Amino acid sequence: MGSLFRSEEMILAQLFLQSDSAYSCVRELGELGKVQFRDLNSDVSAFQRKFVNEVRRCDEMDRKLRFLFNELEKVGIETRKAGNITAPDPQELIDLESKFEVLEAEVKEINTNKETLKRNLLDLIELQFILLQTQSFFQEAEQYSTLITGQEPGGIERGVISDTEEKGLLEEGRARSDMGLTSQTNFMFVAGVIAQERLATFERVLWRACRGNVFMRQAPIIDPLEDPTTGAMVFKVVFVLFFQGDALRTRVRKICEGFRATLYQCPETQAERQEMSIAVTNRIADLRAVLRTTEDHSVTQLEEIAQEIDVWQQKVTKVKAIYHTMNMFNLDMAQHCLVAECWCPVEDLEEIQTALVRGTEESGSTVPSILNRMHTPDDPPTYFKTNKFTKGFQNIVDAYGIATYQEVNPALYTVITFPFLFAVMFGDAGHGLIMALFALTMVIFEKRMQGSGGEMFGTFINGRYIILLMGIFSIYTGMIYNDVFSKSLNIFGSNWNASYTNTTPDYVFPSDCSCPDVCVLHLEESETTILPTQAQLFQDPYPFGLDPIWQVAENKLLFTNSYKMKMSIVLGIIHMLFGVILGFFNHIHFKRYINIVAEFIPQILFLLCIFGWLVILIISKWIIFYEDLNTAPSLLITLINMFLKFGMSPSVTCDDPGTDDCDFDDNQYSVFSPTAGAADAQKFFQIFLVIIAVACIPWMLLVKPIYLYVQYKKNKKLGYSRQIDTGSDLEPNDAETEYIVHHEDDEQPKHKSKGDEELGGQIQEEEHFEFSEIFVHQAIHTIEYCLGTISNTASYLRLWALSLAHAELSEVLWNMVLKIGFSGVSTKLFTSPVVFIDGIAIFALFAFWAVLTIGILLIMEGLSAFLHGLRLHWVEFQNKFYDGAGYKFAPFSFEAILSGKEDE
Amino acid sequence: MPHPFAIWLSGRDFKMFQEYVFNVDHGYLEGLVRGFRSGILDRTDYLNMVQCETIEDLKLQLAATDYGNFLQNEPSPIAVTLIDEKLKNHLVVQFRYMRAHSVPDLSTFLDYITYSYMIDNIILLITGTLHQRQISELRSKCHPLGSFAEMESINIAATPAELYSAVLVDTPLGPYFKNCISETDLDELNIEIIRNALYKAYLEDFYKLCQSMGGETAEVMGRLLAFEADRRAFIITINSFGTELTQDDREKLYPTCGKLYPDGLIRLAKCEDYEQVKAVAECYPEYANVFSGAGTNPGEKTLEDKFYEREVELNVQSFMHQFHFGVFYSYMKLKEQESRNIIWIAECIAQRQRAKIDNYIPIF
Repeated sequence: MGSLFRSEEMILAQLFLQSDSAYSCVRELGELGKVQFRDLNSDVSAFQRKFVNEVRRCDEMDRKLRFLFNELEKVGIETRKAGNITAPDPQELIDLESKFEVLEAEVKEINTNKETLKRNLLDLIELQFILLQTQSFFQEAEQYSTLITGQEPGGIERGVISDTEEKGLLEEGRARSDMGLTSQTNFMFVAGVIAQERLATFERVLWRACRGNVFMRQAPIIDPLEDPTTGAMVFKVVFVLFFQGDALRTRVRKICEGFRATLYQCPETQAERQEMSIAVTNRIADLRAVLRTTEDHSVTQLEEIAQEIDVWQQKVTKVKAIYHTMNMFNLDMAQHCLVAECWCPVEDLEEIQTALVRGTEESGSTVPSILNRMHTPDDPPTYFKTNKFTKGFQNIVDAYGIATYQEVNPALYTVITFPFLFAVMFGDAGHGLIMALFALTMVIFEKRMQGSGGEMFGTFINGRYIILLMGIFSIYTGMIYNDVFSKSLNIFGSNWNASYTNTTPDYVFPSDCSCPDVCVLHLEESETTILPTQAQLFQDPYPFGLDPIWQVAENKLLFTNSYKMKMSIVLGIIHMLFGVILGFFNHIHFKRYINIVAEFIPQILFLLCIFGWLVILIISKWIIFYEDLNTAPSLLITLINMFLKFGMSPSVTCDDPGTDDCDFDDNQYSVFSPTAGAADAQKFFQIFLVIIAVACIPWMLLVKPIYLYVQYKKNKKLGYSRQIDTGSDLEPNDAETEYIVHHEDDEQPKHKSKGDEELGGQIQEEEHFEFSEIFVHQAIHTIEYCLGTISNTASYLRLWALSLAHAELSEVLWNMVLKIGFSGVSTKLFTSPVVFIDGIAIFALFAFWAVLTIGILLIMEGLSAFLHGLRLHWVEFQNKFYDGAGYKFAPFSFEAILSGKEDE
Repeated sequence: MPHPFAIWLSGRDFKMFQEYVFNVDHGYLEGLVRGFRSGILDRTDYLNMVQCETIEDLKLQLAATDYGNFLQNEPSPIAVTLIDEKLKNHLVVQFRYMRAHSVPDLSTFLDYITYSYMIDNIILLITGTLHQRQISELRSKCHPLGSFAEMESINIAATPAELYSAVLVDTPLGPYFKNCISETDLDELNIEIIRNALYKAYLEDFYKLCQSMGGETAEVMGRLLAFEADRRAFIITINSFGTELTQDDREKLYPTCGKLYPDGLIRLAKCEDYEQVKAVAECYPEYANVFSGAGTNPGEKTLEDKFYEREVELNVQSFMHQFHFGVFYSYMKLKEQESRNIIWIAECIAQRQRAKIDNYIPIF
C-alpha cells in the first residue's frame, strides 16, 4: 500500500521500561522520532510530576546558557554549529551543571570588573569635561571681573540669563560679582554632570527650591557617553552651580542627588585645575589600557564558550525533553518500572524494538524493556511519511484538515491535479518557463537556501517543488493554447489554407458571430470570413495545440473562450467524478457497504446523468461538423430544456419571430445529427436521464436512514435476549457486530478501530439513537450534494475565467507597451526613423514590460491562480469524499524539538 | 491624533453619539485590554497555585499562565520581592504600551490613573525621608507608573508649603496639593492627612473628568469612583479612632463623590466607634453587605478584604459594558488585586503559613 494513499497503520503500544534503563530508552526513541507518547498524568499538575526536579535543573541550565548566549550576542561572536550530539547520560548532567556554574560566575565576574572599570572611566571622562568647561567658565568670569570694573555689574549674567528673569538673581549676581572682585572664596560652587533629559526640570526645581539664589552655568558634552550598566548611549550636560552659604549647599546637594547628577570635586584655582587635568588625562589613558586587556580577556573566554555552546545547548534541550517525556509515564511501584503508552506506526515497530534493545544495553540493565500492543477504541493519529517532494502537497491538504485515520489521502492526486489546474488558469509557456526556472534554481540550491530569506521568501522555498511542477505544467498548457508571452509559436507551420475561395456568400458571418464553435476565420487583410468545408477541417489539423493562424484572426477571442469554457466544464466534471469514486474506496476500506448502495451509486448516477451527459454533448459537438450552422445546437439551452421542458422541444417556438435570438431560444436539432429522428432519439434519451437523476434524490435521502433504523430495531431486540448467539443471523461486518464486539470485548477488537466510527458511535450508545437526527443529517448531505454538483460545476468555470484574464492581460501588456517600442517611436516624432532614439525607447519599454510581466502576470496572477486552484481542490474536489477529521501524528523527536518545529 | 471625524463630532458636542465613533480612536486599545483581561488568572489557576509546595513550584505554575516566562531568566532561589517586582513590571509594560497608543480623551484618562500612583510615591518618599532613609533606597520601592522627574528631590522640603512650591507645583498633583499647604510640619499624622487630602482632591477631580466625558464612561466610572470614595471615607473614619484627628478635620478628608455624600458623610463624621460606623453602613445596602460579614475573628474576613471583594466585583462588572474607558481602570485594579493574590500565596508558601493561604480574593 502506497504510504501516501492511506496514512500509516498505527497501533497503541504499552512500554514497560525498567526505571534504570528508561532514560536511555527514551533517548533512543527520541533520536528515532517515530513514537508519540500519550500523557498518562494529564490530571497531575506540572510541579507534582515525578521528574520535575530534573526538568527544573535543566531549566536552570537553560537559563545559564541563555545568559551566555546573550553575552555572546552582545560582543557579536558567532557560535559554532555542532552536528547532532547525543543526549548525555544522567550522570554527566552534574558535570555540565558545575561547568555552567563556573562559566556563568566567571563571565559575571569579568562583567562586573568591566563595569567597574567603565564606571571609573566614565567618571574620569566626565571629570575631564568638567575641568575643561569650568576652565572656560572661570576664565570668562575673570575676564569679566576685570572688564566690569567701573561698569554696570551683572554683565556676566546677561550672556546667560535673559533680562526678563527675576530680579533676585540679578541682584545676587551683582552682589557676587562685587564680591568676586574683593574675594573669590566667599561664594561656593559645585560642579557635576547630569543627563540631558533631566536638565530642564532640574533647573526649574533648583530655581524654585533655592528661590533663585543659585547661579548655573552649563555646557553640553557633545558626544554621548556610554552608561556602564545598561550599555546605552546617553547625552549628558556639564553644569556648575554657584551659591552662598552652607544651608544652600546641603539643599543643592540634595537636589543633585535627587536628579541623579554626579558631582565632582573641582579645585578652585587654575593651577590646581590644570594639574588635575593632566593627572586625569593620564589616568584615563591607563584605564583605557586596562579596559582593553579586560575586554580582550573576556572576548577570548567568550570565544571558547562559542565553540562549545551549541553542543551544550543541544544536550540540555535533549535531556529536558527526555525528562519531560518521562513525566508523562506512569510509575509502577511493584515492579520498579515506568509504564508508557505510545502510538507507533506498525511498519516501524522493528526499528522501535531495536531502539529499545539498544537503550537497555546502553544502560547496562539486564531486564529488557517490553513493548506490548494494546487495543483501544481511540482514533489513532494520522501519519504520512512524506519526502521533500510530497511534503508541500501534503501541506496543501493538511491546511484544510488532517485526514481521518486511514482515509484516502487527496494529497497523492493533488501532486498532479493541483499544478495542472493551476496551469489551465496560468496557460502561458513563457511565463511558465520563467516560473519553472525560478523553482529549478531553488531546487538545485535547496541546501544552501534552506532557512534563509525571511518569512516571505521562505514560503516560496518550502513550496519549490509545487512551483516547479506548476511552471512545467504551465509550459505544457501554454503550448496547447499556443501562448508565449501572448504570442503564438509557428512551429509546424499553419495548416490553414488561405487559398480557399469563398463562393457561398451565405456562409459569411458577421465578425460578432455568437456561434463560435465552427471555425470562422476572419482574416484581417481580406476582410472576408471564410468557412472551411468538412473535408478541409478534418484533413490536416495542426499537430499540437492551437493553430498559430488564430493569432491574426479577428474571432480568436470568441473561439478561445468557447474552447476554454467547455474544457473547464469537462475537466471539472472529471475531477468531481474522480472525487466521488475515491469516496467508494473509503467506503470499501471502512467496510461501510451501506454507503456504497445508499450514497455512492446514486451520487455517481446523479452526476453522470446530468453532467456526464453534458460532457458527452460537448465532446460530440467538437467532433461533429455542422454543414448548416443553423443546425448547430446550443448546449446550454439543451441542458436547460432537458429539465424545464422535460427533454428537448422538437419544433421552433418563437414568441417574437422578428428577432434573430429566437433561433437559439429553442433547439430543434440534435447534437449528433441534424435529422429529426436524431432529435427525437436524443429527446427520449434525455427524458430517461432526467428520470434517473430525479430518482437518485430520494434514494440518497431515504435509504440510509431507513436501513439504520431497521438495523437498530433488530439490534435492540437482540439486546434484550443477550444469551442468543450474537453473530449468527447478522452480517459479519456491519456496525452491529462492532457494537457487540465492543461490549463483549473479546474478539476482533482491532477490527473495531477500523470500523465505521460514525455508525458505530451512533449505535453503541443506544439511548442516543434518534431517527430524526440521522434523517436531518442525511437530508443536509443530500441537499448539499445535489446543489453542489450544479454549483461546483459552475465553480470550475473559474478555470476559464482566470485563463482568459491571464491571456488578455498579457496581450494588453504586449500591445500597449512592448509593441510601441518595436513599431519605432521616432517615426511618430520625426519624419525618418532615428535609430538612437528607438534603441533607448525599446530599452526603457522592455524594462517596463519585463517588470510588469514579473510583477503582475507572474506574481499576482500566479498567486490568484494558486488560490483558485487551492479552492477547487479544497471545496469542489475534497468535499466529495474527504472527512479531514483526524489529528496529526506528532512523534517525540529530538530533531523536531531542536529545530523548533514541534507543535505544542 | 484623534480621528478628524471624531474631532468634528466632539466639536459639535454630540456627547450622545460618542459610542458610534468610539472605535475610531479607542477600538484597538479596548480590544487589547479585553484581551489582556482574558489573561487574568481564574479559579483553577489559583487552586493549582495554592497546591504549590515551594516558590519554584509557583514559578512553574505561573509559567503556564499568561505571565509565561516572566521569571525564566531569574536564578533560583527566587525571592517574593522579586516576584512582586516582576509582576509590577509586567503590568507597567502593558500600561505603557496602551498609554503610548492612546489619543485624547483616553490618554488623559490613563494619565489620571497614574496620578494615584504618584500620590502613593510622594507619601512613600516623605515617610521614608522622615525615617532618615536614603533616597536611592526608596527609589526602587516607588511604583514606576507614578514616577516623575521632580519626585526624588522631595527630601529638600521640610514643610508642606515648601513641598508644594519647590517640588509639586508643576506636577499634575499641584492643584490637589493646594489645600494641604496650611499644615505646619511633616510628621506622621500630617503625612496621613496630606495623603487623604490628596486622594480626596484626586478622586473628586477624576470623578468630574469622567462625568464630563459623559456616556458609558460617566456611568461606569461614576460607580467605581463612588465606591472608592466611600471606601476611603469608611477607612478614614475607622482609622481615626484613637488619634488626635478632630471630627471636623476628618470630615474635610471625606471625598464627596460617593454615594454617602452628603447625608452619610455627615453621620460618619460624628461616629465615635466601629459600631456607629456599621450603623451608618446599614443604611446603604451594598455597604451593609460589606460590613455584615467582616470581622477580625478567625474564619471571618477582614473589612479590608470585604472591600476588596466588592471592588473586584464592581470592576468585573465594568467589562459588561462597551465603548467606555472604565475597562482600563478596572483592568488596572483587577491586575493589582491579582498581584496582591499572587504575592499573598507566595508569602504563605515562603513562610510556611499554609493555613492562611486561601485568603486570596479570586477574580473570576
